[in-house]
Amino acid sequence: MDRDSSYEGFMRQLFDKEKLFEKPEPLKGVRVLEVCYVVLGPAACDYLAEFGAEVIKFEGQRGEQMRFVTPFAYFWKNLSPGLEEQNHNKYWVGMHLGHPKAKEIFLSLVKKSDVVVDNLMPGRMKEWGLSYPELKEINPRIIQLHVSGYGSWGPWTGRASYDAVAQSMGALSPITGFEGRGPIKSGVWIADWITGLMCAAAIMAALNYRERTGEGQFIDYSQVENVIRWLDWTWLYTSMTGRNRERSGNRDLAISPSSLFDCADGWVALAAFSKEEFRGLCAAMEQPELCDKYAEPLDRLQDENAREILDAVGRWAATKNVTEVEDLAGKHGFAASRVLEVKDVYHGRHFRERGAVQAYDDLLYGEMVEPCYGPRLSETPSRLKWSARPIGMDNEYVLTKILGFTQKQVRKLSDDGVVFKWNRQIPSQCPPPDWDGKQGVKYP
Amino acid sequence: MAEKKDTDKTGIEFIGSDLEEELFDDRNIVGIAINKEYARWAHRATNPDAIPGKPEALDDMVVIDASHGSFAGLFASSILAEMGAEVIRVEPPGGDLARQMTPYGMMIKDSGLGYLVEGRNKSHITLNIVAEEGRQYFKKLIKHADVLIETYKPGYLDGLGVGYRQLHELNPGLLHCAIHTYGQFGEESQKAANQPDYDIIDQARGVIMSITGEPDLDPEVPPQYKRPLRQGNWMGWYAGGAWAGFGILMAMFHKRKTGKGQFIDCSPPEGLLAIANYAMPYFHMSGRQMPRAGNYDYAVFPYTYVKCRDGYIFISGFTDPNWTALCGIINRADLREQFPTIRERLNPENQPKIQHEIEKFTTRYTSDEILQLITEYSKRPDKKGTVATGRLEAPLEVLQREHWSERRTFIRLEDPLYGEHLIQNSTFKTMSGTPGRIKWLCRPIGADNELIYQKFLGIGRGKLQQLKEKGIV
Repeated sequence: MDRDSSYEGFMRQLFDKEKLFEKPEPLKGVRVLEVCYVVLGPAACDYLAEFGAEVIKFEGQRGEQMRFVTPFAYFWKNLSPGLEEQNHNKYWVGMHLGHPKAKEIFLSLVKKSDVVVDNLMPGRMKEWGLSYPELKEINPRIIQLHVSGYGSWGPWTGRASYDAVAQSMGALSPITGFEGRGPIKSGVWIADWITGLMCAAAIMAALNYRERTGEGQFIDYSQVENVIRWLDWTWLYTSMTGRNRERSGNRDLAISPSSLFDCADGWVALAAFSKEEFRGLCAAMEQPELCDKYAEPLDRLQDENAREILDAVGRWAATKNVTEVEDLAGKHGFAASRVLEVKDVYHGRHFRERGAVQAYDDLLYGEMVEPCYGPRLSETPSRLKWSARPIGMDNEYVLTKILGFTQKQVRKLSDDGVVFKWNRQIPSQCPPPDWDGKQGVKYP
Repeated sequence: MAEKKDTDKTGIEFIGSDLEEELFDDRNIVGIAINKEYARWAHRATNPDAIPGKPEALDDMVVIDASHGSFAGLFASSILAEMGAEVIRVEPPGGDLARQMTPYGMMIKDSGLGYLVEGRNKSHITLNIVAEEGRQYFKKLIKHADVLIETYKPGYLDGLGVGYRQLHELNPGLLHCAIHTYGQFGEESQKAANQPDYDIIDQARGVIMSITGEPDLDPEVPPQYKRPLRQGNWMGWYAGGAWAGFGILMAMFHKRKTGKGQFIDCSPPEGLLAIANYAMPYFHMSGRQMPRAGNYDYAVFPYTYVKCRDGYIFISGFTDPNWTALCGIINRADLREQFPTIRERLNPENQPKIQHEIEKFTTRYTSDEILQLITEYSKRPDKKGTVATGRLEAPLEVLQREHWSERRTFIRLEDPLYGEHLIQNSTFKTMSGTPGRIKWLCRPIGADNELIYQKFLGIGRGKLQQLKEKGIV
């Protein structure tokens, strides 16, 4: 099929990377107060921050747990990669909201903010006098979102929950793994990330509604429920048949053929479900009789047939290189791709051209290269501005520029311990070892 | 001190304040909340029974979902449909391929199980856009829309004269969201020209699959299992759909303020690589890639699944105090001495050893017994730290749990055409002002042709019949 090459050119132009910072941000003017820690809550706010929301993040004196969670206990310029991954473009304030004076300051911010997010134990914000009715008193338009494993009410509210608990209790791990082998936890904290994303979507729906009506609202969100939601046909199948959904490795039980295959020089993911696509695959395999036998998608899904087809594809793929299979897929109209590792994405041009991976020069840490959240918006794209920062690094900026405190007032708050900065004895709370005391300071 | 006694007419005695607890036992609402009043308030604010009367956040939006063979497109439009948008599914006259994406080929009338789950709240029409006349109607429909969602090969719609360039002229406020593995441009776009988008491909290109699977560094794992592993669900498609939904809502927010439409290019693999933990920052900083860790974790351990007598449980105790607590619970002070700091515990060679030692204990007990031991320890005044645990629940077990039934996590819908079925509810149902909800399960192919063609295009039954005969509808 001929594709007008000017289409790709048109799209490149539409998303011209040179113009990135000339384009408006969709969430400009939206201020978010982040009372979150670890991955789930901060990720929800991170998605908004990369699209232009002004996110102010509060930390207690010990600092965010993720300052201490990092692969093989690795730190870089005092920065924990585990902290960096969900904290971009934010303003960092060291303040404990349980302190009465801190609460006063927080409420002054609420008056000028649009969204408050927490992923603390449900009820903690109420203990601090910061529940929705109290916030609404200060700012009738406020939108407040709380997210936790089990939500704010129900028989299990109050139970501790982590990402892996959600993967377990929501049955994501039980359905992930090779046939006949045990359940496998995701290689990433996936339940935290996907739940944070749905929280960001809920906040966007609330902002859309507020644009129409001026009304804010309270949003309660449960992480385990979110995992349950994402499990496609699992619940319908199990409730209909009385059987558990089984682990099936890389084979897709609802699409045939679809799996991961061994080639001579590596792995290839391959799928071909429609009649045309399967015909294309059989032509590439030079096995037209397979196509005659199993033309209908539904026939191919019968267990015995599916296994027979997967074997045939497997035997064929083993005689090819990955690149050959990918090229044949493009030629015959089915889907095939190698498995990408992070180095492929980092060094490859495709993702950088599209702005999915961005390089930027951080004021504290220098050159950084990281994924930038999608999707790609042509008029109001996302962008990376700066990295995670030391505790309280933006106290002065927030207190002075947003709340109008004088330098004297800020000093007093600091002397009284209401606001604080990093502890020099704890490196992962601090600026880089070679910091000159001025670089990266937003104000003064 | 004499106890105050109250007696009612029956002469039975009640003692003190226990009376209130007994009469108002709302444990099904307050659970083990740290603040019961908060839990009660939250329940009142987000009571599932109060949903039908409440407004919908997005009921002023019209969304055309012309996705084909893609649960990314379908999940994106489900998010919008749950919050009240009018979503119109446009399928070819023979129906969407996605209806056949179903386990073992199980069908309910004209719909597979996957499709039934994501049919919620959507009207369904048929239209043949391959035919020139069909495209005329498509363009007219687009003029009414705020959003178009499509998943065709990049350039396909453009080649037919109904791509973004053309539609944007007709409807400058249109939010055109295209979802495809490779996106609409980029070095790999040649491949994209003729390859369809599938979940396994999206997962394969999303980096997460390369670091998920049985642990590379554990010598007890047979070599044939040391390979990338997909998540069991359609994680690629659902992530792609969620990012698309999020992007559409941001673009819609911008449109409300400015009137401007735009193009949204959603590549599901990008949606996964962006949430691959610290993989890229760590690679940038250190030049190293993470190996597949299986159920281990090289940033935080123990944080793992262990075998117990009746299945598997999750157990964690990774900071020094929590590790001390865990060793206390399983009576293994020697492990505490052998692996005293996080550096020892994050050493990949040590993790299988630690895991097996923990399992020597946990395989003697059921998950309930272990939970009890952990809870008892947590109440001790001399406890050294906190150990978290959770059960790996099989789907059948999840369906039995009271918590999900109280929160209406699952609902049984009675559909006039498909029958009574259980599906997972909207997760936006606990919004106090504009809760998400499911109004109907699904619609057969073309079920809403009459209504939609009349309502939007002024085409009556007679003309519609002619169009059917011509294969346009």
